[in-house]
Amino acid sequence: MAILEVHEIRKKFDEEEILKGISFSMEKGQTLSIIGSSGSGKTTLLRCLNFLETPDEGTITVNGDLLYFANVTHMSEEEVRKSRHHFGMVFQQFNLFPQYTALENVILAPKLEAKSKEDVANVVERGKELLAKMGLSDRMDNYPHQLSGGQQQRVAIARALALQPDILCFDEPTSALDPELTGEVLKVIKELADQHTTMIIVTHEIGFAKEVSDEIIFMDGGVIAEQGPPSQVIDNPTNERTKQFLANYIG
Amino acid sequence: MFINVTLSLLEGFLGTLKLFSLTLLFSLPLGLIISFGSMNKNLIVKIPIRFIIWVVRGTPLMLQLLIIFYGPGIFLGMNIWGAGDGGRFTAALVAFVINYACYFSEIYRGGIQSIPKGQYEAAAVLGLTKGQTFFRIILLQVVKKIVPPISNEVITLVKDTSLARVIAFYEIIWEGERFIKSAGIIWPLFYTGAFYLVFSGLLTLLFGYVEKKLDYFK
Repeated sequence: MAILEVHEIRKKFDEEEILKGISFSMEKGQTLSIIGSSGSGKTTLLRCLNFLETPDEGTITVNGDLLYFANVTHMSEEEVRKSRHHFGMVFQQFNLFPQYTALENVILAPKLEAKSKEDVANVVERGKELLAKMGLSDRMDNYPHQLSGGQQQRVAIARALALQPDILCFDEPTSALDPELTGEVLKVIKELADQHTTMIIVTHEIGFAKEVSDEIIFMDGGVIAEQGPPSQVIDNPTNERTKQFLANYIG
Repeated sequence: MFINVTLSLLEGFLGTLKLFSLTLLFSLPLGLIISFGSMNKNLIVKIPIRFIIWVVRGTPLMLQLLIIFYGPGIFLGMNIWGAGDGGRFTAALVAFVINYACYFSEIYRGGIQSIPKGQYEAAAVLGLTKGQTFFRIILLQVVKKIVPPISNEVITLVKDTSLARVIAFYEIIWEGERFIKSAGIIWPLFYTGAFYLVFSGLLTLLFGYVEKKLDYFK
């Protein structure tokens, strides 16, 4: 059974249709990359999955549970909150909380759900493990402004993982970074892929997408223009728009 | 003589302090409520609130004091403030609270609106409720941003209290002026400046301390 099924998602902003019926599904443990030019709707799609935007039409199903059905559901704040637990989100601009240390950023949300002292201790332990996994053992007590962009983004990844989401989403995770810092973030994402973390990555790093993904979606003008394994979409694209887009990258 | 004058002025300064502290006590929270009104999406709430802020910030506080104190008697034919010093104090306090709440509301609004959308979104995807987001994520960042402008307003308020003498509210300048008539000396009036200076100096130190405490994050 697919871990995620998205069916006919549509989204309009001020009469302009950004998503014109998006359907796809993915399997547990897979890495899916979404590529495409700016304005193609890829970020909006990711934001719909995280309920930062509300789709006008369509359904979202996770692990067989229908999370969202635009035609019938008006979701309460509480329902939205619950549904979000299936997804983790890593933002382009990191969006760490400046008044908390790296570790506090990671454990803030799980700590709020902890019910006993033992739970809290476990949350802290797990937070430390996650930061160690991100190569940040010596940076746990630093505040975001004391960290480099690459380090901040790795803290943000640890923060998203701390809630143990079914699917981890990345919205252009390296676009706000200096070129010499993108490598350390991509390396961490690659490691997560190797450990079969289920991930959806919106990215402009075509080379990286090819290396790390099981599946690639190329979006163009609010629709999926081409979808398949990297060997197809990137190496042997059939769609004219995909060819044009990739030609600009490989140049 | 100097000691006598100092003691008298201290007594006058108590009036100043009373108006100052009660104004802060009421206007700081009222300002927050007004700021939420001025950011409200509903125009029926937002437009009147913005109008009031415009009027209050666009006219002299001295004029507002006069209108609030004399207005009810003239236009409604009743003295709602009660007789004597108590009435003058209440009227002065009401005028100051309204005036400062409007200024504070604009500072709060600026602070709240300067918090990047990404902070709310990050909190949302982590499953925080609206209350948790405001109190655990947003509030401290807002406080850090507004401490310097609030500190400015508060120091202005120390000195603005002297305006209340237009409705014969008893405070330190009033007391200082009294010596001109009673003893024929003007230096006590000038001496009042020292009281303002010392008090605003203390406030500057206090706000400097708060700012420093919040310096650990950016």
